[in-house]
Amino acid sequence: MGKGFYTLFKKDCRMLASGKFFLMAIGFLALYTAYVNLGYIRFMQMEPYNVYLYDPAETQTSKSSLVQNVPSMEAMDTALLADANGVGLDASSGDVRVVIYKGAEHIDHHRADYALSLLQPLASHTPEVLGTNTPEQKARKEITCELLFFELAAVGFLGIAAVMFKEKGMGVIRVHAILPVRKDLFLLSKLAVFLLSDLVFAVLLTLLNVGFVDGAAVLPVILLQTAILSLMMALVGLLCALLLKDFRQFTLAYLIIAIFVATPVFLSANTSVKFDWINWHPFYHVYMGLKNAYFGTAISPVYYAGAVGMIVLLFLVVRLAFHREIGKEG
Amino acid sequence: MKGLKYQMKSVLRDKFCLMTFLLPILVAVALNFMGSIDMSSLGELHFGVLENDLSPQTITWLERYGPVTAYGTQEELTDAINEPSTNVICVRADGDSLKTAISGDELDIFQQAAVTLPALYERREAAAQAEIQTLERPDILESVQGIFIPAILIVAMFMGCTFNAMNIISEKEDGVAFVNEILPMTPSQYILQKVVVGFLFGSLSSIVTACICFRLSWQNFGLMLALIVLSSFVAALIGLFIGRFSEGLMSGVVYIKIVMLLFLAIPLVCALIGVSGPLTVICNIVPSQPAFDGILALSAGSMGTAVKDVGILAIHCIAWFGLYVLLSVSDFCCLRVGH
Repeated sequence: MGKGFYTLFKKDCRMLASGKFFLMAIGFLALYTAYVNLGYIRFMQMEPYNVYLYDPAETQTSKSSLVQNVPSMEAMDTALLADANGVGLDASSGDVRVVIYKGAEHIDHHRADYALSLLQPLASHTPEVLGTNTPEQKARKEITCELLFFELAAVGFLGIAAVMFKEKGMGVIRVHAILPVRKDLFLLSKLAVFLLSDLVFAVLLTLLNVGFVDGAAVLPVILLQTAILSLMMALVGLLCALLLKDFRQFTLAYLIIAIFVATPVFLSANTSVKFDWINWHPFYHVYMGLKNAYFGTAISPVYYAGAVGMIVLLFLVVRLAFHREIGKEG
Repeated sequence: MKGLKYQMKSVLRDKFCLMTFLLPILVAVALNFMGSIDMSSLGELHFGVLENDLSPQTITWLERYGPVTAYGTQEELTDAINEPSTNVICVRADGDSLKTAISGDELDIFQQAAVTLPALYERREAAAQAEIQTLERPDILESVQGIFIPAILIVAMFMGCTFNAMNIISEKEDGVAFVNEILPMTPSQYILQKVVVGFLFGSLSSIVTACICFRLSWQNFGLMLALIVLSSFVAALIGLFIGRFSEGLMSGVVYIKIVMLLFLAIPLVCALIGVSGPLTVICNIVPSQPAFDGILALSAGSMGTAVKDVGILAIHCIAWFGLYVLLSVSDFCCLRVGH
């Protein structure tokens, strides 16, 4: 059995290598690393509101250094037009008048009061810091988690299906029906190849983007979550490949998952937009498991039990579909 | 014409393809009729307080700036503050004043809000008397939700691209591409047959989506139609390019993935951060950018920008079509010389 598994494993590796699968994974690893380090970290910054003051008589003497003086009302209009989140203060008529472009009601109140407070700054108050991450660490962990989730889903799901459709076309399943090896090994060897490649991808992506010290500390839990996601996606990929007619149909199914299924999960998990129904979304729990692993938050044993149950169930369904396919081919 | 009939027949038989083209329409219906997604909380301040710690007046004052959630215990409050997806600021009573606590991983704007909140509280009465002039901004999105609908339209158009690409790639895999080479068919007939199916279904899906999402005047509807038709045509053409340059299914999928990321990411980033200057010209090289920009402009009632975007898309159509015809004709000539 061991020898049979090893031969099948070697054959699957060779097929993936000839299909430039590994090359593609390395290419995407480089692309994502460049995006995180050169683009995302710089883009994810939100400076406090700029405050522009028009004060020709210089009545505001105790203003904070964060207030920028403008020479005229026209200059203030131009500044506000270019920076719609900024706040204008017009002190030309004695009393200070606040000028802002309309946004969300709560934010408008805060912007106006914040700008006025800068005219007579009080002793600054330092808030207590309760967490351990800096904004950059948080941004790195968040984006790496998103990219890993997206890539695991794509690589496992698409890759395994591409291999399966190719083998279907070549008649490998038919040959396998008469080979003296256990039928399950055919499925297990594929799962093992994708699991291994996903784990290597997860290690490299995490260390390169979260950093060696931060990344290494959470790596064991991340690998466990990666294994869960990788096995699930590979099994779903196998099932789709066994049930669907051709790869074109499969790609369309993939597009649907990538765009319409993943978007609400990312929104709910990463922003303050929370949907009431999101707890019914299976991807949400898997994504939150991965995210909790990155942020070192405790993961419930119920989730692990559910994930293992789901993997076993999926494997049994795939096994059934595979045996049906062998029966059809034979 | 006969070839086109066969192409249509093959699509109509494939129920799964039809479902894919119907999907953006279903999402648009869901967005439109089943309640909209509340995106207004994205940039808002969120406050966390302990039950019975702050006076009702202070809570009412805090609610002017953003939603306030009361937690039963300090542990629950700390967990909410440290939750990475939110920017909750902890507010506690400190004698007559307030003190704040944060997780430390918030963006600068939220950290600054936590630093200045006690000072705002101390001068709340003076601030309430200040005169505030609020200006309307016509050309800026009222909420991020406005971006969703154009994004769905772009996806609807992109379906035509995917369909065409996969159609050609699967023909290559099945060997039908070799049969096509010896059929009595000119390059232009071939391009027409291949482009029409993805284009027709992509644009039909987008038109229905647009009808569900927008209530436009006839004039604006004409412009929207032009934007949809032109961008669906470009998307369908790009599908032909992907099909042409893909060696197999896997490489085709990689190209589709890259094109899909570019198609969605560039317009979204441009809309969110507001690109200007020479960068706008570079972004307009991606055909989905003028389409997205035009749809946003139309929904904001800016006709001038929409007309400009229709022009850019028309240039895209001519350039991509010309390039594809040129490549096909040169291949056709090579084939003849070869024979």
